[in-house]
Amino acid sequence: MLEIRDLRKQYGPIVALDGATFTARRGRLMGFLGPNGAGKTTTMRCVFGLAAPDRGEVRWDGKPIDRLARLRFGYMPEQRGLYPRMRVGEQLSYFAQHHGLSSRAADAAALRWLERFELADRRTSKLEDLSHGNQQRVQLATALVHDPELLVLDEPFSGLDPIGIATMSDVLRERAAAGVAVLFSSHQLDLVEDLCEDVVIVARGRIVAEGRIEDLKEASGRRHLDVEVAGAGSSWLAARDDVVVIEQKGDRVRLLVGDSVDLDAVLVAARNAGPVRRFSFGPPALSELFMEAVQA
Amino acid sequence: MTRRRAIYLVARREVRERGRSRAFLLSLVVTVALLLAGVFLPALIGGDRADRLGIVGAAPAGFSQAVSASATQAGTAVHVEAIGDVAAGESRLRDGSLNGLLVIPASGTPTYEVKERQNELLGQIVASSWSQLRVRDLLAQAGIGADQLAAAATPPTVRELEPSDPNRQTSFLFANVGVVLLFISIFTFGTWVLTGVVEEKQSRVVEVVLSTIEPRDLLIGKVVGIGLLGLVQLLVMVSVGLGAGLAAGRISLPPTTGVAVVQLILWFILGYGLYSTALGVLGALASRMEEASNASSPVSFIATGSYLFALLVVLNDPSGVAARVATFIPPVAPMVVPLRTALGAIEPWEIVLSVAVMLLTIWGLFVVGGRVYAGAVLRTTGRVRLRDAIRAARR
Repeated sequence: MLEIRDLRKQYGPIVALDGATFTARRGRLMGFLGPNGAGKTTTMRCVFGLAAPDRGEVRWDGKPIDRLARLRFGYMPEQRGLYPRMRVGEQLSYFAQHHGLSSRAADAAALRWLERFELADRRTSKLEDLSHGNQQRVQLATALVHDPELLVLDEPFSGLDPIGIATMSDVLRERAAAGVAVLFSSHQLDLVEDLCEDVVIVARGRIVAEGRIEDLKEASGRRHLDVEVAGAGSSWLAARDDVVVIEQKGDRVRLLVGDSVDLDAVLVAARNAGPVRRFSFGPPALSELFMEAVQA
Repeated sequence: MTRRRAIYLVARREVRERGRSRAFLLSLVVTVALLLAGVFLPALIGGDRADRLGIVGAAPAGFSQAVSASATQAGTAVHVEAIGDVAAGESRLRDGSLNGLLVIPASGTPTYEVKERQNELLGQIVASSWSQLRVRDLLAQAGIGADQLAAAATPPTVRELEPSDPNRQTSFLFANVGVVLLFISIFTFGTWVLTGVVEEKQSRVVEVVLSTIEPRDLLIGKVVGIGLLGLVQLLVMVSVGLGAGLAAGRISLPPTTGVAVVQLILWFILGYGLYSTALGVLGALASRMEEASNASSPVSFIATGSYLFALLVVLNDPSGVAARVATFIPPVAPMVVPLRTALGAIEPWEIVLSVAVMLLTIWGLFVVGGRVYAGAVLRTTGRVRLRDAIRAARR
């Protein structure tokens, strides 16, 4: 279990973290959300001792993290980077050895992960000779090669094509299923909603929401109502003050309503306007929870 | 996973990656080629250094022998050849295939012709041989015997009160070449540390590396790994240089050779340790390769200054005050001490004290520089100011 406790970090006049506290559990995928500059990268750097917090601490399994504990973590920094002229297989093995694997075990692990990403035939290629997508895979393999107990990935999906995203998602799910605590940041909120059970949202250095996505949705007073009335557009809603149109595409409108809205009344109004093609009611998407949380 | 293992891994990576890099192999081949050229080319090009003297007309008997003898005494050699006429001799003077032309008329005083008055020695040899023969002939005519003449011609024997070192020339050569090798090696491999640090920053890999190891260990591993390659290259250069020199017969190894080589290696290690650490720390302040040379310019300046100081000042007066003081100034000492040692102009205590000062300085640089490096190496945007790096490291 990774515990972030009351982290504060200031760079000159800029407060990057201002008392951030949250927990990432083993066997779970946790999405780490927040606008640019909210403090996600600084938090991750604090986990790896790359930035020293001015206050607060990071604990793993109840103990403060030291150099030896970090060897069991895997890290993919926001700014990707490996040795451009080093061969892929040797590079993976090198990082595995830095995590404490013997030379032989490291070679075997490197090969295993290259096979997993279908790069085994490129193991003697220099990294710089690989395509961008394949370099990304090697970067992920670097974070995974030593079978870490905690995975911290900064924007792992950025720059990936749909196939790459699918592979990355599979790997993250598989690692979580194997008992690894996975914490990753992303701006692709639909993806996070799809993949994660837990999220933590940071804004201006503070945690503004944390927990299971389902619980957060449930706790939100906001609800969505998607309605489509053929040929009516949104004109039939003009007189109502209990709904707000947040999106309109042709005859299809997305409405924001309170959880105490009178659905029957809305449905009647829609029927009066024309044939109803769609009428669905539900909690807001993660992206809306996010906007709500960071703008509050 | 101990810190020592982490340092070992970093050093091993440097040796493997750079050891098979084109840059290293090329630098090895080029330096060896330069050394071989330096040793063998003079022998090939300037093999025959003898002056050529042409003679027109009949020379007195024994003249050629007299010229050769005088030449040998003067430490040179002269080939004498007969030339058909003055015109042919003069044209050969002009094209440089003769250095001097002696025209001996049937009667009267001979003329000695040269293209321009340059090689006064040949003229003196010719003049003295000529007059020597003439005087001998006159004396013989006056009835003085050959034995008496020979006895009178015997030069006084020479006794040296303070005989010079028979290997002085070789020592001088060693000292010169040694300083050049040290300067090249220290600076080449020190610069590799600089570029290595910047490359890691520029490719952002440093953040991945530092998620498992301490910044100082990364710097130490890098310095050690690249230093081993430098040591290999230095040893190859020294072996090739000595081997080729012996093979070409240009040097004979004085008994101090072993000491000189050991000192060369010792001072490479010390000098490289100092300069590469400084360059590595400065490299951490740059974020791109273009900034690296700017960041390192103070160190380059000091290194070049020390090198010139050694060659221009210490070589001329290895026991002078300047040389003695420089022995204890760490950036200068790696080039001064081996030079003074090779010239036999240093006391053992000076060497010991100088090494101690060097070691202390390197240690201090690692402590202070290690902090600066740690504070700066993760800042990948723009050039980091020294003050900011130190401040960041304190946290």
